Amino acid sequence: MSGRALVAVVVGTLMLSLTGPLRARGGAAIRLPDIEHPKVFAAGKIGRSGGTLVVGEISDPRTFNLIVSQETSSTIPLSRVFDGLVETNADTLEVEPGLAESWTTSPDGKTWTFRLRRGVRFHDGVEFTADDVVFNMETAFTPGVRGGRRDRMTLAGNPMRWRKIDTYSVEFKTQEPFGPFLRTMTFGVVPKHKLEAALAAGPAEFNKTWGVNTPPRDIVGTGPFTMQSYVPGERIVFLRNPRYWKVDADGNRLPYLARHIQLIVPNLDTLRLKFQAGEMDIYGVRPREFAEFKAGEKSGKYTVYEAGPTASTEFLMFNENPKGLTPPKLAWFANTKFRQAISYAIDRTAIANQVYGGRARPLYGPVTPANKFFNNPNVKQYPHDLGRAETALAEAGFKKGTDGVLRDVSGNAVEFTLSTNAENSERVAIANLIRQDLVQLGIKATLAPEAFNTLVGKLDGNGNVEGLVWGFTAGVDPHTSQNIWKSSGSLHRWNPSQEKPSTAWEAEIDRLFDQAATTVDQKRRKQLYNRWQEIVAEQQPLLYLVNALTSVAARNTLANIRPSSFEGGTWNIEQIFYTVPFR
Amino acid sequence: MWRYIARRGINLIPLLFGISLLSFIAIQLSPGDFLAEVRLNPVVSQQTVDEMRRDFGLDQPIHVQYAKWLWRVLHLDFGYSFAFQVPVMWLIRSHLVNTLILNIAALAIAWLLAIPIGIRAATRQYSLTDNTFSLGAYLGISTPTFFSGLVLLFLAFKTGWLPIGGMTGLDYEDLPWYGKALDVARHLVIPAAVLGFGAAAGLMRQMRGNLLEVLRADFVRTARAKGIGERPVIYKHAVRNAINPLITIFGFEIGHLLSGSAILENVVSWPGLGRLILESVVRKDLYVVMGALVIGGTTLVVGNLVADILLVVADPRIRYD
Repeated sequence: MSGRALVAVVVGTLMLSLTGPLRARGGAAIRLPDIEHPKVFAAGKIGRSGGTLVVGEISDPRTFNLIVSQETSSTIPLSRVFDGLVETNADTLEVEPGLAESWTTSPDGKTWTFRLRRGVRFHDGVEFTADDVVFNMETAFTPGVRGGRRDRMTLAGNPMRWRKIDTYSVEFKTQEPFGPFLRTMTFGVVPKHKLEAALAAGPAEFNKTWGVNTPPRDIVGTGPFTMQSYVPGERIVFLRNPRYWKVDADGNRLPYLARHIQLIVPNLDTLRLKFQAGEMDIYGVRPREFAEFKAGEKSGKYTVYEAGPTASTEFLMFNENPKGLTPPKLAWFANTKFRQAISYAIDRTAIANQVYGGRARPLYGPVTPANKFFNNPNVKQYPHDLGRAETALAEAGFKKGTDGVLRDVSGNAVEFTLSTNAENSERVAIANLIRQDLVQLGIKATLAPEAFNTLVGKLDGNGNVEGLVWGFTAGVDPHTSQNIWKSSGSLHRWNPSQEKPSTAWEAEIDRLFDQAATTVDQKRRKQLYNRWQEIVAEQQPLLYLVNALTSVAARNTLANIRPSSFEGGTWNIEQIFYTVPFR
Repeated sequence: MWRYIARRGINLIPLLFGISLLSFIAIQLSPGDFLAEVRLNPVVSQQTVDEMRRDFGLDQPIHVQYAKWLWRVLHLDFGYSFAFQVPVMWLIRSHLVNTLILNIAALAIAWLLAIPIGIRAATRQYSLTDNTFSLGAYLGISTPTFFSGLVLLFLAFKTGWLPIGGMTGLDYEDLPWYGKALDVARHLVIPAAVLGFGAAAGLMRQMRGNLLEVLRADFVRTARAKGIGERPVIYKHAVRNAINPLITIFGFEIGHLLSGSAILENVVSWPGLGRLILESVVRKDLYVVMGALVIGGTTLVVGNLVADILLVVADPRIRYD
């Protein structure tokens, strides 16, 4: 263990003894000497301090600048270092207090006031205040600063407004009531005193600030771990933040771990060997590996935890873009009966068994059961049924000839290509199974896997694809996917960027999304999004296929492992601990 | 000699210009660009994508982009990586030494093994030793590095003797210098062995073939007829004549020092340049690819130059002036 880690442990132990007399389980409020109202992380077991937790990711972080970071290779390590005003509880998917200890909403739903937690300090000792929050908002809305924050906080072209009330309170205003407001406040807060000079130097300079060539100890946040070192292509090392603002139910300061290391291992097979060899402590088990890992639990001294269904979806889409396709095919694909028939013909159970080793369930709608909050389980389902498929095709005027070939009303044989990105072997396998299913209907589908970049180029151009096996990972709030679902959206892939919705049901989805965006009552929003899920399942613009089940393997010596399919195996890293004193 | 070297140096300029121009056009003409990934993110608006395209200069015609890039490179500024937002040179520098360590170790293994084995195999043609080495060589040539890399990693996992990939252990920073060297050496065993044995296989076959040919030459018969012992015949006369083509190969290998291990680096998670370049090509991080190509092109030319100079040293018949 490094000298610094030892210091951290000693400091940590000191803190523990300091907080000892203040214990108040379930009774009076817990206080810390420096923080009046620490957040109590009540769920889970009371742990012991010390130890190093080693995990692995497949790519290097691209930046340490949280504001411009976009992809998980940067946001996962940075989530150890930074906190949001509010945070998502991965158990319940509810929004909970974070750096803000409480908030209020005005009756019209347009004004939000946050009260900040007093005494929280950045890793370099500077206190976190309302000025930092204001600085983060200013940065996000500075033209030219990259990152998705501005887009997330803009509603129908109207940005949010904000104001510092005093050192510990901030007020936000939106033009209209903004439904997903609270979830946008989960953004991590970066320190003003470290970054204001960079912002003053202009957006181009700011985008480059805190790049991966910055000394890691300069990257300071309020999070559970401080960044200690970064070796490109190898690892990022974090140390315990002795000033963290969360405590366990007994009032012990979190996190328990003294050190946290994230290895960078670009090859999934190597990553897996590293876990099995004991060089790594937590590993995200792929669906196909599940049976083997489960069988090796005893000899490998680890436990496989079920993390439930994933938030990512795989689907089959038919191109309905008049700019990309010509009549016979366009007419088939734009016909709801045709899409429903194909949906009945797809054997989703076979996909689950053959591609995911049985670790997947059929999926019929756009929100997976992982999203406990917004999932609507009562949507139309399409169990594998060739009879219903043929009925639907007949209703749409398709006929199967004596030669076994399906033809449309004008006598055109039904054949098309099935594109997917070649790098994703699971998608290629899925497309192949679908191709086989379609043979039974007399449809000739030709498999056309292509390089990701080529395919995206085609999709962006005039949409010159026919059938497409694709997927994406949705955020908790469906609002974050509005660019996909609204008919004007550029990612409304089957018929993108429409000036006016071309069908009645697309018009209804547009209305539902607009309405949900300006509704603050979450129950009402859930109803609106339920209706959207019903329409999608009925109309099948995207034929959802299967929902994989995730699991995480962790050493038996680790406790409080509560993986979440949304937030991963270490979302609650501050309360993970070693039950034995080693490492 | 010096004039020759200077001339080759000057030739390097139009060559690099040509390489960079052609690759720039090739990268830009292939479908998709760096922003493909960003565009697929539903949270990012079209306006943001357009803004990024302007920032990166990707909205300008190709020839303007190239001219701007060239102008900066002439001032030794290789630009910024799109993905990492750090200078391309910083990225290359932080990976360069690691790749050199791996490839030089592999090169040493390959040559120290291949030359003696090749000589031995040639002087005992069709003997049991020769056949065994030849069989080994065929296996070595036909096994792809990612496969042998994985097999060795698996062996390391089963035995627990060696670490599974990477270049340094978790506590590397706290070790004294000899501990650091030992740590890197332990991690180096698998990748250097994979690359070294793989290269040795081909080289050994080359050495054997060349030497067999030379051993049949008239001057060898003459030397033997004069009554010179078998050892001096082989080492003083035959080997020196057989080694010329290998020196040329050596030049090429110097040229591949930076890029030859890309796939293996991915498998054994060696933090090298090859891995960086491979990832950059895949995600179309234009200036990183261009920077790497310029450096790769330079090392290839320099490697060939080194080979040509070594040829002069090894073979007195060759003169360049």
